[in-house]
Amino acid sequence: MSATSTTSQSGIPLIGRPLAAIGRTSALVAEHAGQLGLLLARSVRALVGLQVSFRSILNQIYIMGAQSLPIVLVTAVLAGIVTSQQGGYQFQGSVPLYILGSVVTSSVVLELGPVLTAIVLVGRVGARITAELGTMKVSEQIDAFEALGRDPVAILAAPRILAGIIVLPVLVAVANLVGVTAGMVAARLTLGLGYESFLYGARLFWHNWDMFYSMTKAVTFGLAIPLISIHMGLRTSGGASGVGRTTTASVMFMTLTILILDAFFPPLLLQ
Amino acid sequence: MIRFRSVHKAFDVPVLQGVSFEVEEGEMFAIFGPSGTGKSVLLKTTIGLIALDHGNVAVDGDWVYGSGKAALAGVRRKVGYVFQNSALFDSLNVWENVEMGIAEEVLARLPGRERTRKIWEALELVNLEPRDILRKIPAELSGGMRKRVGIARAIVGRPKILLWDEPTTGLDPVNTAAVERLIARLSSELNVTSIVVTHDIEGGLLMCDRVAMLEGGRLRFIGAPDAFRSSEDPVVRAFADRAAAEAALDQMEIT
Ligand SMILES: Nc1ncnc2c1ncn2[C@@H]1O[C@H](COP(=O)(O)OP(=O)(O)O)[C@@H](O)[C@H]1O
Ligand SMILES: [Mg+2]
Repeated sequence: MSATSTTSQSGIPLIGRPLAAIGRTSALVAEHAGQLGLLLARSVRALVGLQVSFRSILNQIYIMGAQSLPIVLVTAVLAGIVTSQQGGYQFQGSVPLYILGSVVTSSVVLELGPVLTAIVLVGRVGARITAELGTMKVSEQIDAFEALGRDPVAILAAPRILAGIIVLPVLVAVANLVGVTAGMVAARLTLGLGYESFLYGARLFWHNWDMFYSMTKAVTFGLAIPLISIHMGLRTSGGASGVGRTTTASVMFMTLTILILDAFFPPLLLQ
Repeated sequence: MIRFRSVHKAFDVPVLQGVSFEVEEGEMFAIFGPSGTGKSVLLKTTIGLIALDHGNVAVDGDWVYGSGKAALAGVRRKVGYVFQNSALFDSLNVWENVEMGIAEEVLARLPGRERTRKIWEALELVNLEPRDILRKIPAELSGGMRKRVGIARAIVGRPKILLWDEPTTGLDPVNTAAVERLIARLSSELNVTSIVVTHDIEGGLLMCDRVAMLEGGRLRFIGAPDAFRSSEDPVVRAFADRAAAEAALDQMEIT
């Protein structure tokens, strides 16, 4: 800190300021990473120690899962149709059309199913968690839990994290199935590709590993969304406008994290 | 006894810069001060809700910071905290909110009838009719009622110490007087030590054995109500006069 002030006084702020900015950013990243790790560790401890109410886990599964299902289905149908149309357009006259079965299946299962479902859940579930916990933080309800000897991590964080890990794989599996089916129907209606041919193409390049890959993504995103949204909610300060500001930041944080994690999957798991 | 020793806390800017004082057992103690000077932060340090930069707080001889989880839990069991905005749990009804005021391990051993009696008594102590409101959620209550449910939650576990963060701010004069009578009554009936953060200077001076004024991160004044009234410190004078004028204005606006 004192180093930057002396450099700017001695006339080289052009070097000092960006360095200071990098330093501040790294410190902030380290701070978030440390707090996320601590939150995860405390949640795991609460779950393993059976301090978490079964009812609130079921409640969270319902809120995250059942209530998100319609929007997840719509997204999956559209993703399947778009992939099918796009592929059909590119392949026309060049490769056998049944390849489309494989293209749609692997795009949906490997990428679109998990990633689009996760992005939908960021808006549908993550934003809600940050706003809810942020409001509880600024209205001192989190302090009240502590004051009354209750553990807010066991009561609020752990059920949401466990529910996320359970719910996302189920939603992704449904999205995969529905997306591929929608792509298959679209291929028949617009390109005249029969179901048999589509499924033949799909099977030709299918690996069981692909489903495992898809589910691994789902679990990872299912952990990241509640973990980040809770963390951001608990950091909220500054009243109602603070809740708004933190919720926006939280959505950015979750979206970026999902896209970055997604980029790490191919080199790690598709070798 | 509660002992604040050289309490330092900065957020983006320094808030508390070395606050030291003691509150005796059974005493009623008021803290005054302009908004944003750290009165709530100071009160929260009593039960370890805010990580300190420096200093410590002792409750009945147990240090709040650095003594481990068990010691902190012990301190928190002794203290009832009335939050500035009531801080009722939105998703729980009045009954469940007040029930949260009973320690978990006590709750586990308590027969159902005893539990009902405790919650019932706490609500009656704050002049609420339990039958009418038990099943209501906080959003269905008026501000004054929420405040009283918050008080019921703080006293249901029979704490030795009560911390009040602006218990009368935002209430009309009738409710203000009622809550102040309640604080005085609870403090004498339950024989507790009370620290009251308040903007109602007159009320605080009438109720309390000693008062303090927090300003610029430090205690500007600490002493008996009479000494506060006759203080010649210009900062204390200016604050007290302005607060009196504001209180008069509030009265005019509400009535
Ligand atoms: N959790 C927090 N994070 C950041 N700043 C805080 C936090 N809590 C309090 N502050 C800041 O500390 C100062 C004192 O706050 P507070 O104790 O609530 O004042 P008051 O005397 O009105 O009760 C304010 O400037 C407030 O913005
Ligand atoms: Mg305050």
